[in-house]
Amino acid sequence: MASDTPSMGASKRTSATSGLRNSQTARPVSPHTPQPRSGNHSFASSTSPGSSFRGEDDAIIFEIGARWLRAGFEGGSAPMCVVGFGPEDSRRAGDYRGWIQGSTGAGRLPQPVDIEEWTRAYELWRPDSREVDLSLVEDKIERAFRETYNQFLLTDAGTSRLVLVLPSLMPHPLLSSLLSTLFSRWRFPSVTLLSSATMSATAAGLRSALVVDLGWAETTATAIYEYREMTTKRTTRSMKHLMQEMGLLLTGLASDGNQNTETADKISVGFAYCEEVVSRFAWCKSQTEKDKDTSSDEPDRKLSIPSPAKPEEEYMDVPFSRLAEPVEKVLFAPGVAEHELDDEEKSLPLLVYNTLLSLYPDARGTCMSRIVFVGGGSRIPGLRQRVLKEVSLLIDRHGWSPIRGKALERQRQRLEELKLSAQKASKEPETPKSNGETPSTDDEAADPSKAVPEIDFVEQKLRRQNKDIPVPIQGVLREVESLGPWAGASLTTSLKIRGMVEIEREKFLQHGLAGATRDVDYPVPDRRSGLRSGGDRSSWTLVGWA
Amino acid sequence: MSRPFPYTYISCPCADTPVPDPARKRRSRESPQKSPQKPPPERANTDQDKKLSAKEEEQGEDEDEEQTFDPRSPRSNFSLYPPEQLLYCEECHQIKCPRCITEEIVSWYCPSCLFETPSSMVRSDGNRCGRNCFNCPVCTAPLAVSTIENATGNAPQQGPWVLSCGYCLWTTLDIGIKFDKPTNIRSQLQKMTDSTPPAALDRSRQASRTFEDLKHPLSSYASIDEQSNARERDGEQAAPKEDQGAPPMGMDARFAALKNFYRTQISETSNSPNDHLSSEFGFSSPGALNRLMSLYASSSRLSGLYGGSKKPKSKPPVMREALTASEGLQVASENSETDMIARLQSPECGWDGMASIDQRATQSPDARFIDDLLPLPVLLRTKRAKRCKSCKHILVKPESKPQSTRFRIRLIALSYIPLPTLRPLAPSSSSALPAMAPTSDLNSLPPLRPIHILLTLKNHMFDPVRITLATPPVTPGRVATKVTVLSPQFEIGANSDVWDEALQGASAPLTSDSRSAALRGVPEAGKVWDKGRNWTTVVLEVVPGTLPGSSAEGGDGNPNTETNDEDVLAVAASRQDEDVLEIPVFVHMDWDADAQLDQQNVGKGSKPDDKVTRELAYWMVLGVGRIQPSL
Repeated sequence: MASDTPSMGASKRTSATSGLRNSQTARPVSPHTPQPRSGNHSFASSTSPGSSFRGEDDAIIFEIGARWLRAGFEGGSAPMCVVGFGPEDSRRAGDYRGWIQGSTGAGRLPQPVDIEEWTRAYELWRPDSREVDLSLVEDKIERAFRETYNQFLLTDAGTSRLVLVLPSLMPHPLLSSLLSTLFSRWRFPSVTLLSSATMSATAAGLRSALVVDLGWAETTATAIYEYREMTTKRTTRSMKHLMQEMGLLLTGLASDGNQNTETADKISVGFAYCEEVVSRFAWCKSQTEKDKDTSSDEPDRKLSIPSPAKPEEEYMDVPFSRLAEPVEKVLFAPGVAEHELDDEEKSLPLLVYNTLLSLYPDARGTCMSRIVFVGGGSRIPGLRQRVLKEVSLLIDRHGWSPIRGKALERQRQRLEELKLSAQKASKEPETPKSNGETPSTDDEAADPSKAVPEIDFVEQKLRRQNKDIPVPIQGVLREVESLGPWAGASLTTSLKIRGMVEIEREKFLQHGLAGATRDVDYPVPDRRSGLRSGGDRSSWTLVGWA
Repeated sequence: MSRPFPYTYISCPCADTPVPDPARKRRSRESPQKSPQKPPPERANTDQDKKLSAKEEEQGEDEDEEQTFDPRSPRSNFSLYPPEQLLYCEECHQIKCPRCITEEIVSWYCPSCLFETPSSMVRSDGNRCGRNCFNCPVCTAPLAVSTIENATGNAPQQGPWVLSCGYCLWTTLDIGIKFDKPTNIRSQLQKMTDSTPPAALDRSRQASRTFEDLKHPLSSYASIDEQSNARERDGEQAAPKEDQGAPPMGMDARFAALKNFYRTQISETSNSPNDHLSSEFGFSSPGALNRLMSLYASSSRLSGLYGGSKKPKSKPPVMREALTASEGLQVASENSETDMIARLQSPECGWDGMASIDQRATQSPDARFIDDLLPLPVLLRTKRAKRCKSCKHILVKPESKPQSTRFRIRLIALSYIPLPTLRPLAPSSSSALPAMAPTSDLNSLPPLRPIHILLTLKNHMFDPVRITLATPPVTPGRVATKVTVLSPQFEIGANSDVWDEALQGASAPLTSDSRSAALRGVPEAGKVWDKGRNWTTVVLEVVPGTLPGSSAEGGDGNPNTETNDEDVLAVAASRQDEDVLEIPVFVHMDWDADAQLDQQNVGKGSKPDDKVTRELAYWMVLGVGRIQPSL
């Protein structure tokens, strides 16, 4: 088994060239045809005839998150299948209770459970790897991959290259578990890792973007400039909390308010039912809480949803606006001052604003007009507009200055008084200068959304030189739709662009993750096209994942 | 509880070999499981007197805890299989489960029309049936092609045609789709769904890849030409106009646009003549073409291709981002989401107007309402050959024809390992044990009442087999059930010809003896309960434990503590299936096999007449029943 694997890897890697050679040597002119072909031939015959030429070059792309797995072939615009990790998927073989009794979580739970326990069975892993039983994760991954191949991909597992789309921050034990499961279970010649944020930007047609990923365990905002991840900020305000909050809301509706205190933070509705409600009817008010008049002019509609107490039998009327409450509460944290929030639980608008703030002005201007929302939460209607609105409010309020507070206000007032008393004659051009004295330097100059584009002769000259290149939009808050990380990876792979992190089977099996070079000065591939400049790669790296 | 009681499961030994990770060698398993090679330390316990005090047993259990297979651990769900689903490798002499085999696809077929799909067509059809087989997007029942006109006379039916679901009465009319012909519905549907986005780009999703690849150098070159022309003509003004004018594209159209755009960009930017790399890769052909063209026509409008820079040699052109909708950029529109919220609120939408998660999983990611759902072509299925993962020997090879259910090779484990069956021993009238509970209902076993279970192992091999059974004295988990195998070591006869039994008079005394044993009706330690030609039955004595928090805990059911039944129920339900009584049993079997075709084994365990001793060991889980919460 170990002896023939290198030949397999080699034949994959040089498939383009060897194919060329074969076609040349296969001509009747050359009498020495059998020798070069023999190696290839024996390899081909070891697999079934149908599969050897099918999918020879097409990489298979998997996107794995804590809740879902998406899989498909390169070049496809959408994944072939989306598979969840629920309790139904970890039943024993031959256990058909899910089909007999209806899946778990559809009905009401027999007993209220803790909100953390409630979600646990539905997630593959948690970001805190101390709480994760890695061997169980391996079992689940193995089964999910096997069934995906057998049911949806319909191709032999392990014959073609595998591309994994992963979040750029992934605990090493998890990554190691994932890779060793894949490599030891199947004979993938190599696994390429692609960062989901960059792929989302690619799938939007962008080179720089602020990718806001509303994921399960956390929401991340990643600033990408020219395909590089500049900075990532994260918050725990995410879909998991939203689900828990909706579960509490539905529990409250089910018990009609006569809930005793000991079960106050426990959920008694089924997870699957709650997820249905979230996926169908979670929405977000487009107005911030300040303009309250919206509720008066619009009559609050009642919506008939299956009753949380007995989802399979009865329906129940719920005011439509109540279904927006969890989104509001979890993702926007209304009524909580910014300083009361911990660093890891900033609201979404603050997260976006802070990420933009931490960028250099150039990158900030570019990224703020290329905001991309991905992840499950981006499907909630109204959410994206709301975030953008609140971010623009924040920009209006604070500008691009990280410094604020009472002391600053006082100091500014004092300075203004000083200034007013000192030079009353010249009024208007002084404001920028006063800002220059405080550490919050370019309050207006660096705020590209408000500033009039000033005439810069270098810019003008550049523009004159390449007239036919359109000016990129900059400095305006703008949202760009993305096809999602999976489609981005499919796009990238189908263009034959190789990833920076390409883990070859043999090398991984020898050393595991520890075999990755931690060399910071890893030779960067050709930047223009993302091509590798070198021929063979003697070592491999885990660039972003190291 | 996963099947009706009583049931048996077998744990594949491959669960004990952890995933080898070189970087993680020191990581200890959370719940290490017994390796089958070592003899189980509990074996001694099983022979012991069952009247051991509970404390001693608990101590013994503590020692052995690490070694015992725990059917309750979440991991065990992934290694337990019903015996009939397991395979057996004759080379490795080991049980093989779906985790330790590799699969190879023999043929692809549609489960609905049973037509085989040639492998070259599978991918281009998107792994789905390319004919008229569709599933209902709402309820997944198969759809039928029917005409809208009421078929009254015998005249040939006339279109238009629709697909209709016989179960939920959904038809394609609900989403406004009618077909002109009753045949080739898939391509008709494809045309309809694809025609909505602008037709400027090639959206040859169903076109085979080879055709696309053949075509692409030319087509991308043409698009470069187009683009540069357009840029020259109306430069920047094109962008806003296109953005507003074009309706939002579908996923496929956008993807194709983006791909086209990137391909153009790559070919534009990688035009440096010394770019030797480009010859190795697929996108190189337009680049190579460009390079040649630029050699001959350096001055003309072709130079506009390279970003219009004056000195392309010194300054390489830079890739840019997508700028227009035709390049795949899509700026989010302001009001689409408010429209959607309004639609959510509208009374005609409601709960049933929205697609559920299950329905959406198979549809395009944009689908949200019931109206967005399209009929689903039936997903193809495969016939797969299975090989042993370690020695690559074929274990299963089906015939490739979809209509045939026959197999060329099929090595199922049940022809090698004894088939375990379980049944409660009905108390006989002459029962000497008054404490024996009536074992009528396995779904409510009274705790602390001993019951007897008959475990029958049936041999399918042509060699007699020696079996050793071992159980932990107390089942793992919170419900401590005492288990004793009354006769843990026994033999099972060979699966000889049925006539042998009748013809050989020698076996008569044995059968008569067993009959008498059955009549006696009192299980005794160390004695086999019953025995036949190729099967043996032994007795397990089981004392179900009490559920945690149960009234019976800690003593033999005080009659005055039966009040908190509901609490007990709640506790039992809090951990699902905790009240299910499952007994892990370690099975060790050895037998003398013919050493034919197997030279290397002859050396070590050979018997005079070319016999080899083989052994096999695995864990088995017996699902006995559900324990009653109270006495």
